[in-house]
Amino acid sequence: MNPEMAMRVIKAENLTITYDGKPALEGVNFSLDEGETLLLLGPNGAGKTTLLRTIACFHREYRGKLEVFGKEPCGARELIGYVPQSHSLNERVPLTALEVVAMGGIYRYGFAHFKIPRETLMKAEEVLGFVGLGHVKDRLFRELSGGQKQRVLLARALMSDPRLLLLDEPLSALDPSARAEVAGVLNKIKRERGITMVITTHDINPLLEVGDRVMLINKRLIAFGRPEEVLQDSVIKSVYGPLARVIPVEGKLFCITGDVHIHRHGGGGL
Amino acid sequence: MIPEYLLRALLASIMVSVLLGMLSPLINTKGLAFLTHALFHALLFGAVLGMIFGLLFENLALVMLTALIVTVTIVLLIAHLEKLGFSPDSAVGIVASFVAGLTVLGFGVLYKVMATRPYFPLGESIVSYLTGDIFLISLNSLTVLVLGGAFLFFVMLFLYRDFLYLSFDPEGMESYGGNVRAYLMVLYVLVGAIGTLIVQTVGLITLQVVAVLPGAIALMVSSDLRKVIGVSLLLTLGIQLSSVVLAYLTDIPPSGLATIMLGVIYGVLLFRR
Repeated sequence: MNPEMAMRVIKAENLTITYDGKPALEGVNFSLDEGETLLLLGPNGAGKTTLLRTIACFHREYRGKLEVFGKEPCGARELIGYVPQSHSLNERVPLTALEVVAMGGIYRYGFAHFKIPRETLMKAEEVLGFVGLGHVKDRLFRELSGGQKQRVLLARALMSDPRLLLLDEPLSALDPSARAEVAGVLNKIKRERGITMVITTHDINPLLEVGDRVMLINKRLIAFGRPEEVLQDSVIKSVYGPLARVIPVEGKLFCITGDVHIHRHGGGGL
Repeated sequence: MIPEYLLRALLASIMVSVLLGMLSPLINTKGLAFLTHALFHALLFGAVLGMIFGLLFENLALVMLTALIVTVTIVLLIAHLEKLGFSPDSAVGIVASFVAGLTVLGFGVLYKVMATRPYFPLGESIVSYLTGDIFLISLNSLTVLVLGGAFLFFVMLFLYRDFLYLSFDPEGMESYGGNVRAYLMVLYVLVGAIGTLIVQTVGLITLQVVAVLPGAIALMVSSDLRKVIGVSLLLTLGIQLSSVVLAYLTDIPPSGLATIMLGVIYGVLLFRR
């Protein structure tokens, strides 16, 4: 995409996000253009989810400038698809995969949704097929594997035809093959739909192939830029401690952080 | 020949069953069991306040009206506290404790007002609110129960899917354009209004059990939504009708019988697991 033609999707200037007046994340400056994918990296409690929730308009206490598609975050809500952590959902509710996906498409109109409209169901089936889960549409959400649940939630987010996808730890608590499945779907979304994405993660490994930008935060902005700019020894050590390292192997970067995660630029594990 | 009072009791049981059978799975999936506890306090306070007004204005219709207004106001207050950031447990705990204190105060006032109007027999009404007395339901009360119940049933039916989505993922619902606060308010008002409508037939003491257990049992025996609602409806209907018949034959209060039967079924299922 021609950078001069690309639309600015997110712009943050001197952004400080607070809870009850106390800063949770300070001094954030970055911008993200249409079609780009930002990988948001940092240790537990660094402020990754806080930043994501502020962009999604779930949290509104902040100072500085934050624009999404040139508007306040809440003004751009219709353009945003939010994918929460799957363990934050109440799985006691007996919903099928198809019903969960349809949820993403019915709240643009009406207040009572006794019956899901036929067109919405057809679209839900189509996006379930897009994420490779057409065969599980009638299975209960809670009976799906971790990777399948995450893909169902991705399908639900696609129902509203978003231009910005916000994903909160889409790889957490998944085994390596499920991580690869989800990363594959994210790659497909980027490739075929060109949707801008912000993805928070502890495990950057399977996602580096999809990431155009990496942001490292730890209560404040540590680094932001292209993966090869951010994934440097000195930068990684400043957040994860002296044991963290970045190792170049065959032209690719491997990132070893203190929490035993190994990240490689270009996808795959070490 | 079935006595008229028994017929009225059976009809009331059917309406109560339809309402509780539908509501109970929602109470379980949304985690509203603690809210029904707050409902207990709200209803009792509303009934006591209603009886005071009923005596002062010599109009017993004010009892249910006041109970309804007080209960709905209190559940909306709980919903508002949750919106302000209180956890559901804290919101219910704060409001229920405060209302319990008001109820004690209300009883003091009620006894004083009753002493000034000895010709107005309200003592039985207080007992019927606590234990439920389905055999004493009047034709007027039955009409209110059926018409009001039908209205609440259809509101619940048309919003059922939305309430399920609200229980499943409120943030997701909000992010896709759903008005989470409005749905939560409507759900809480429904719970409060249904509680008010059925309290004199079910009884405050047993209300929480008959509102929670059918849904809990249905969710134990099935994971298919239609079956869950079907089991909950049939179970509530079977328990309510059989408790009325048993009560007719044995003179034991039907609400107590219903509670015991539900408890036994739940216990057996739990043990078999």
